[in-house]
Amino acid sequence: MIEEPYRWVEAISNRREYIEHQLATGSPIAALTYNDGILFLTLSRERQKIFEIYDRIAMGVIGHPGDIERLRMAAIEVASTEGFTRSTSDVSLRRLATYSLSPALKTAFEQVYGAPYLARMLFAELGRKNERNLFIRIDYDGSIHTNGGSHLRTFEDFGVISGTTASTNAMEKFLRTHNFADGDLANALSVALDTWTVGNLTLGEEPREELPAPDQIAKHRAEQLANFVIEAAVLEQSARLPITYRVLGNAELEPFQRQN
Amino acid sequence: MMEARAGEPQRTPMPEDFAALLRRQGHFPNLPTQAAASQTNFLQTQATTILAFKFADGVLVAGDRRATAGNVVVYDRADKVLEIDAHSLMAIAGVPATAWEMARVLEHSFQFYRRSQLQEMSLDGKVRALSKLLRDNFGFVMQGVGIVVPIFAAYDVGNSAARLYFYDAMGAQFEVADYAATGSGSAAVRSILYYENTWGKKPLQKWKHDDAVVLALQVLETAAEADTATGGVDKRRATFPIIKTITEAGITTLPEKTLAKIYKKQVG
Repeated sequence: MIEEPYRWVEAISNRREYIEHQLATGSPIAALTYNDGILFLTLSRERQKIFEIYDRIAMGVIGHPGDIERLRMAAIEVASTEGFTRSTSDVSLRRLATYSLSPALKTAFEQVYGAPYLARMLFAELGRKNERNLFIRIDYDGSIHTNGGSHLRTFEDFGVISGTTASTNAMEKFLRTHNFADGDLANALSVALDTWTVGNLTLGEEPREELPAPDQIAKHRAEQLANFVIEAAVLEQSARLPITYRVLGNAELEPFQRQN
Repeated sequence: MMEARAGEPQRTPMPEDFAALLRRQGHFPNLPTQAAASQTNFLQTQATTILAFKFADGVLVAGDRRATAGNVVVYDRADKVLEIDAHSLMAIAGVPATAWEMARVLEHSFQFYRRSQLQEMSLDGKVRALSKLLRDNFGFVMQGVGIVVPIFAAYDVGNSAARLYFYDAMGAQFEVADYAATGSGSAAVRSILYYENTWGKKPLQKWKHDDAVVLALQVLETAAEADTATGGVDKRRATFPIIKTITEAGITTLPEKTLAKIYKKQVG
C-alpha cells in the first residue's frame, strides 16, 4: 500500500493522528529556571514522569511506559558511555538529542510497518559557568524544539510539554508573562504549579488567544491538587557533588500540596 | 548509538551492569593478549601503602603520594584515595593505570545503576562490584601486569555504621572490624594499628577525629622510614598524604593547610 509516494504520506499522516490521539491526555510537564538551577514539575497519580539522565541532565516525559523506558535507557546509556570514555564534561544534551535520539525516533516513526515510539520528551541541561540552561523538547517523530540559541531568537528560561499543541502553547504563553528565573525555589514551584494548571485547563481545547483568568487558574489548581500528587525534581547549581539531580521530598512539597 | 527499534525485547529482567555495557561497545579491555606476557623487563608504575581504620565518627582512609617503577620515583603527588560516590571511597595499592580505570568504572557503575534502576545500589552490591572487576583483571595479573590490591570503605547510612573491606588481587573481599592496610609499607602500618587497637589507651573505634588524623600521619611516616616505595612528608614542597574521612554527612578531604598545621604541631 505504501509503494506510491501519496500512500506513504497518507500512512504517515494517519499514524501522526493516531499518536497525537494517544498522547492527548498526557499530564503537562513544566521545567523552568530559578536562581539555583532548574525545576521540573508535574502532577500525577502514580507513575513517575521525571527522571535523572546524567550529572546535569534530566528528563520529563509523557507517553507509553514501555516506550518511555526504552528511550530513557537509551539516553542514559549514551550519556554514561560518553561520560566514561571521554569526560563527564563532554556529555552534552544538544548532542544527545540531535545525534542519538532524534534520528532513532524519526526512523521508527517513518518505518510504517513497525511501531513508532509513543512518547514526547522534555530534556533540560543545567548550564555550566556563563552558559544558559538548555531546554529541548523532542517529539515522537524526532522533531526538536529548543529554547533558543540561534540568532534572532532570544533565549527562554523554560521548556514545557503537554498532551496537545493548544495546551503547550498556552503554557509557554503563560510562562512568557511571568518572572521566575531570578526567584527562589518556592517561587518557581508556585509558577510551575500555575503553569501546569494552565496546561491542564487547555488540554481539550482548540488553540485560542487568551489565557485562563487568574481566579480560574487558582480554582482549578485547588481542585486538581485534591486528586493528584506533585512530582518535582531539581538540577541544582549549588550541589556539592558533580551530580546535580535531586528529587524534592515531602517536606519541600507539602506546603504546596496542602495549601489549596 | 541508539539501535533502531527491533521487534525483540531489549531488556532482560537482570539489569545489565555498566562494565558489561562498556565491553559490548568495545570501551573496556577484554581478556589479556599474549603480548602482555612477553614484556618481562617492563617496569610497571606502582602505588604503595594505603590504610583505613574506623574511628568514632566513621572511617578514615589515608594514602601516601608516591608512585614508583622499580627504584625510580615516578610521581610524588599521586592520589590513591579515590571518591566513588557520596559515601564510598576506594584506596589503591598496585598499578595506578588499572586502579584508576577500575575506580572510574565503579563510579559510573553505581550511578548508572541508580539512574537506570531508579534505586541506590546496596552496599553489598557495591562491594561485590569491585570484587568482580578485580576478578576480571586477574588474567592480566597472572601475566605480570596490572595488579591492584584495594581497600573499599563506605558509610552505610541506612544502618549508621562504617564498613571497611580489603581485597586480594583475585577479588576476594574481606570485611574487617577495625582497620586495614595494603601495599609495600603495610607491614609497619598494620603493626602499629594492631598495637594501638589492642594495647593503646582505647580501641581505634573510640578515637576522636583529630587524634585519628595524627595517628594516620604518624603511621605513614613510619612506613616511609623503612620502605623506599612509600613517600613520606615532603615539607619543602608541602606534599602531605591524602586523608579522607567518611561520616554520616559524607566524604571530607582534609585540606593540605590543615594537614600542614597538624603535622607541624604533633608529628614533625
